[in-house]
Amino acid sequence: MNTLTTINELGFAPALQQDVLEDTTSDHALLEATRTGDQDAFAELVSRYRNQITSYIYRMTNDYDGAVDLAQETFVRVYRAADRYQRSYAFSTYIYRIATNLAISELRKRKRRKLVSLTGFFQQNDGAEAQELNPPDTRPLQDSELVDTERRNAVQRAISTLPEKYRAPLILRDVDGRSYDEIARILETSEGTVKSRISRARGFLREKMRAYL
Amino acid sequence: MRKNNCEAIRQELDELMLDETSSAAVVDHLRECAACREFNQKQTRLRQIVGSLGTVSAPPDFDFRLRARLANDAGGAAFHFWPLARRGLAFAAVLLVFVVGAILIRNVFNRPSENKQIATTDQHNTPAALQPVQTVAPQEQQPNPAPPLLASSSERRAQPIRNERTARIKRPLVAEDFSSQRAEVITGREPATEFEVLPLDSSLQSFKVSLDDGRGNARTISVPTISFGSQRMLQSGNQYAPKRDW
Repeated sequence: MNTLTTINELGFAPALQQDVLEDTTSDHALLEATRTGDQDAFAELVSRYRNQITSYIYRMTNDYDGAVDLAQETFVRVYRAADRYQRSYAFSTYIYRIATNLAISELRKRKRRKLVSLTGFFQQNDGAEAQELNPPDTRPLQDSELVDTERRNAVQRAISTLPEKYRAPLILRDVDGRSYDEIARILETSEGTVKSRISRARGFLREKMRAYL
Repeated sequence: MRKNNCEAIRQELDELMLDETSSAAVVDHLRECAACREFNQKQTRLRQIVGSLGTVSAPPDFDFRLRARLANDAGGAAFHFWPLARRGLAFAAVLLVFVVGAILIRNVFNRPSENKQIATTDQHNTPAALQPVQTVAPQEQQPNPAPPLLASSSERRAQPIRNERTARIKRPLVAEDFSSQRAEVITGREPATEFEVLPLDSSLQSFKVSLDDGRGNARTISVPTISFGSQRMLQSGNQYAPKRDW
């Protein structure tokens, strides 16, 4: 009968160490390790934020493939600028700011190219006054899951018609659940402006989603 | 007053997170104000719907694609200088062309001793080919007596046109300006070495030039001799003599 000499022979030691790493290592420390060339540290950062960033950009742009590309670009920029990173604020604020800038830049590019999404095809010139294309189907649905899916799609479409300056704070607050303070730092504006924009964004959404409320 | 109070209450409700408890004042106001109560219900419902959007997952190959992208960037980083290098090379080439051009132009304009005027004459109107302009005296015997200007029409007709054209192309059409060079002093005592020295008194004869007008017709131009009367002026000894005495 063979005797185990080290705990590594059990086979789960690396997983255990990885868990410990994930729990204890801060984002700052991981970025510091990335700066010294530690690829695993950067992979850990990516695994922590890839879903959040992809989801955030997707909510902003309403385009999944484009959101994945922009999320990758976000991480590429973080990796390239690792040497210049300053610890003055949280890493999440830093990476969300990059993602926001990329998403807004993409939205402006689309506006210049006059790319019109199917959902926004019938919207008016002023995004704030946009009307929802898909009127709700008032007939009773068989499945409550279908109802939820329909409602979520309607919300997503309604959000995508919001002006970008209202869209970003609304998503950060109501979808991602971030504090006003953090949103203000991500968007590089004052907290009062953030509150005002979120309030106006909700007002627009309330109008668009009247049938669902 | 009540309206202002409603706005304040709604603002406070707006700023709260969904799971946060509102203050006692807000709760009391909601109990009394139906409009604010309805607002709160709709707002809460809306935020629940928006919050239900949740997080969209990144694709499974997200890490792989990102790694490939970073590897590409790292591999291509060495060649990032190429666009700049190409611009630099293009700029250097343009600069070189300008510098060479400037040097050439400067050389051309700064040659007073070699002031050769290259005349590009209209070859269609010029009969045969032109040689360097030389002073032609009436009794001068040229060592190479075949100037096309003096050729007769019959001789000219005998030459094939093709040879004439090749001769035009091969011979440089150059007229030299000898004004900047010192004139040769002819005393009449020097022996004729390379060319025959013309006597000064040959000016009594007229200067005749036979030309071909391009149609086979020979034209003779006779230029009478010109006398400036210098000998007479010297004899009178009066340098300030009126012009009629010349």
